[in-house]
Amino acid sequence: MKRRLVISLFVLFALFSLGTVITIAYIYNTTSNLQSVITLHRVEIIRQNLVINAQTVQTHLYTFGTVFGKEVDEIVQNVMDLDRTVSSCLGCHHDQEMTARLQELNHLVEDYKDALSYLVTISANPERIERLRRAAITIGNTFLGKAQEMAFLADQRLNERTVRALRSINNSRAILIITLVLSFFIALAIAVSMTRQITEPINELVAATRHIKAGELGYTTSYKAEGEFGELIRSFNDMSLGLKETNQKLMNHLHALANLYSISLSLHAIGSREDIFGEVSQGVAQLLDVKQCGVMLLEGEEFRHQWPAVGLSRQEAETLHVPKEKMQRCYHSTRRKALILNEGISAAPTAEAEAALKVRNLMFVWIRHRGKLVGAIRVANKNKGEFTEEDVRLMAILANNLAVALENARLYESLRERMRQLQEAQEQLVQAAKLAAIGELASNVAHEINNPLTSILGYAELIREETDLESIRRDVEIIEKESLRARDIVHQLLEFARKRPLEMAQEDVNALLQSVLELLSVQLKDTRVQVQKELQPLPPITADGNQLKQVFLNIINNALDAMQGEGVLKVRTFTASGMVCVQICDTGKGIPQEVLPRIFEPFFTTKKEKGTGLGLPISYKIVQAHKGHIDVRSETGRGSCFTVRLPMAPGGASFRTEAADSAQA
Amino acid sequence: MPRRLLVVIALLSFLSGWGWAQEERELLLGLVPEENIFRLMKKHLPLAEYLSEELGLPVRFTILARYGDVVEKFQERGLDGAFFESFTAVWAHERLGVEPLVKPVGPRGSSTVEYIFVRKDSGIRALPELRGKRAAFVSRATTSFAFVLSSLRRLGVRSPEGFFSEYYWTGSHDAAIYAVLDRWADVGAAKEKIFHKVSREDPLVQEELLVLARSARLPDMALCVRKDLPLDLRERLREVLLRMNTLEEGRRVLKGLGYVKFSPIGLQEFIPVYDLLGRAGINLRGFRYE
Repeated sequence: MKRRLVISLFVLFALFSLGTVITIAYIYNTTSNLQSVITLHRVEIIRQNLVINAQTVQTHLYTFGTVFGKEVDEIVQNVMDLDRTVSSCLGCHHDQEMTARLQELNHLVEDYKDALSYLVTISANPERIERLRRAAITIGNTFLGKAQEMAFLADQRLNERTVRALRSINNSRAILIITLVLSFFIALAIAVSMTRQITEPINELVAATRHIKAGELGYTTSYKAEGEFGELIRSFNDMSLGLKETNQKLMNHLHALANLYSISLSLHAIGSREDIFGEVSQGVAQLLDVKQCGVMLLEGEEFRHQWPAVGLSRQEAETLHVPKEKMQRCYHSTRRKALILNEGISAAPTAEAEAALKVRNLMFVWIRHRGKLVGAIRVANKNKGEFTEEDVRLMAILANNLAVALENARLYESLRERMRQLQEAQEQLVQAAKLAAIGELASNVAHEINNPLTSILGYAELIREETDLESIRRDVEIIEKESLRARDIVHQLLEFARKRPLEMAQEDVNALLQSVLELLSVQLKDTRVQVQKELQPLPPITADGNQLKQVFLNIINNALDAMQGEGVLKVRTFTASGMVCVQICDTGKGIPQEVLPRIFEPFFTTKKEKGTGLGLPISYKIVQAHKGHIDVRSETGRGSCFTVRLPMAPGGASFRTEAADSAQA
Repeated sequence: MPRRLLVVIALLSFLSGWGWAQEERELLLGLVPEENIFRLMKKHLPLAEYLSEELGLPVRFTILARYGDVVEKFQERGLDGAFFESFTAVWAHERLGVEPLVKPVGPRGSSTVEYIFVRKDSGIRALPELRGKRAAFVSRATTSFAFVLSSLRRLGVRSPEGFFSEYYWTGSHDAAIYAVLDRWADVGAAKEKIFHKVSREDPLVQEELLVLARSARLPDMALCVRKDLPLDLRERLREVLLRMNTLEEGRRVLKGLGYVKFSPIGLQEFIPVYDLLGRAGINLRGFRYE
């Protein structure tokens, strides 16, 4: 456009310059013609003055010397004017003919001056004076004739020159008018064209800006223009598209931030680490559109990939582990910024595992807690494009939140554990108190009942021995049987209430279990109960073996009762968290959830007459006396699972196997 | 009111007087026709311009066409001064009291000699042979004619009347020369300065004319001013003319006139003229041009 403007202005300038040149040329021509005509007129006036002067002098000649004659000064002045005029004409540029004529006139003037001077100054007889006067008059007449002849010729030339000049002036006028009109219309056309070329794209741009103002980001105009306006329109279109793109990026960013906020919010609402891993993995995978995502955390001397994770099975996640030092080297090599590997993953600390997982691109965003590296968010295989700094920024925010969330989860877990322990302690205290009260009561009652029962049994035996009546004998036998049953109960009550000192010794739990199972083998023989044993090597514990056998016996008896002669009895032993664990599971009818909290209460039984409701309370009391505890999980219709945890003997805490840990997991 | 009227009248009077004074501030100088009057006037125009410029008032020259009425015209036209030949100078002094102011000095000095000449082919070789011949003299009031009269007196001729068959007045020296050269007359008289000047312009003069007699040295021209010319103007005029040769422009004007400078002149320089007039029998006090 600038070029066009310059060209247009140049054309206008050239046009006006041309017009000006033409105008000046024709004005100059016209004025030259006029000047020429004026000059000729002046010359004509000079010639006329010449003639008039000559005629005046001639007139003076006739009257000179008479009373009507003029003063000599006047004649002298006239003649000098005549002389000056002829001399000045002679000095002008004339053709040869005219020059010759003028020279002739000049000679005549000289002769005339001589003759006149003689005549004016002479004092002689009248004849001589008359002769001189005639001579002067003759010269004067000759001069006049020549001058008039020249005047006639000049007049003719003047007329011709005047006609030519007028014709030239008319031509000049016509050309000037044509030039001015043409210049005006050409300038008008250029101005209109330029105005259009300027206003059209501007109007188009104004309309386009209104579209954008109305929110139509990305609106582009299809108006075609060249030069600066073309560039402006292209820039405008680029700007509009850029605005749209920027707006889209902004929206995406906002969306990402919203997602991030959502993820972060949910992170803080989650108490479980596993849930956090799952939430983070899902959220990040959706946020960054990646195939794989998960969290690696420092566990001991290794950073291990946690599970759940997106795009990774548990086994695949387990393959991703890095020694602490290696990960920290990587962390420091990136100057504690994220590690982005868009082209090749060989530099990744998990390079071998990544290759196996067919990772194309990879990003580690560090998780720090109190300035120390505690983990990393690992994202891999971005679906579209590569990992960017924007991704890093988002992940960095998430990583900070994740660090806080993990800490919160840890604290929450700790708190919950403490609460659980507190509750358990409270329950134990309540149970203990309850048992103590029941024990006290049972002891008193047992002592009070035991004596009458002894009397009843004694008299019943006496009656049985003294009577012959069969009917009475049967009744007495019933009395004896029930009394014996009552005495058993009383004994159990006494046993329950009795605070027998533990006879602690190094015991092998597996051996205790084996002896119990052997004891029950006769009873099991008549059933279709299948016994599965998974007895892992266990460290010895310090315990009262007989009492522990009673515990296992009680639990297994309950299990057999629950299975009603058919099912699977699974007995497992393992170590976990410094405890020796015995797990006894059955496939019986299970314990209803509403009953479950009461199974360790004394005298609570679901076996009607068959049970006393003291087996599990006594077992509980024994395990508690060993500083262990019993857990029970049960599902109605599918069976129950009792786990007895007993502390290892001193020195047995280091006894640990991987199998045991995996069993715990 | 009368007071105001008086003031207006006084003012008008002053203005009219000033205007009159302005008109009066023109210096009018006469030229005697010693040569062709047109050339004479043309030659003196630069001097008029120069004097106008130097004096600060217009200076104009006028032709005194005939020697005979120079004195009358001087008085009649109210001339302030005139370049007179020596005869007219002393005549005007005697008649009008004009006073010589300066004299022009040419390359040959400020004096001249009067010639009596004839055509070589006329056969005349001595003054007595002029008897019965036609004569052309410049004017009665010239030293050239006075020299002719004194020469005739030495021959014992008291008057030209009867000696010459015809004589007339050409009015200028060059006209007298050309009158003889062109055979209008057989003898003529003119001053040496003009004779040589015409000779330079026309070689025929030297070739065809013969000088029969030469006078003694006489003062040539002198600028004389009227006796009542204001003293300051007279002095300024004298001063301007005397220092013309010291200024470039003045020298240029002097050259155009054929002069080298102007020199002071007094009446005593005209004694030879008085002597010549005495020998010619001319008494200026009773001199009439008729």
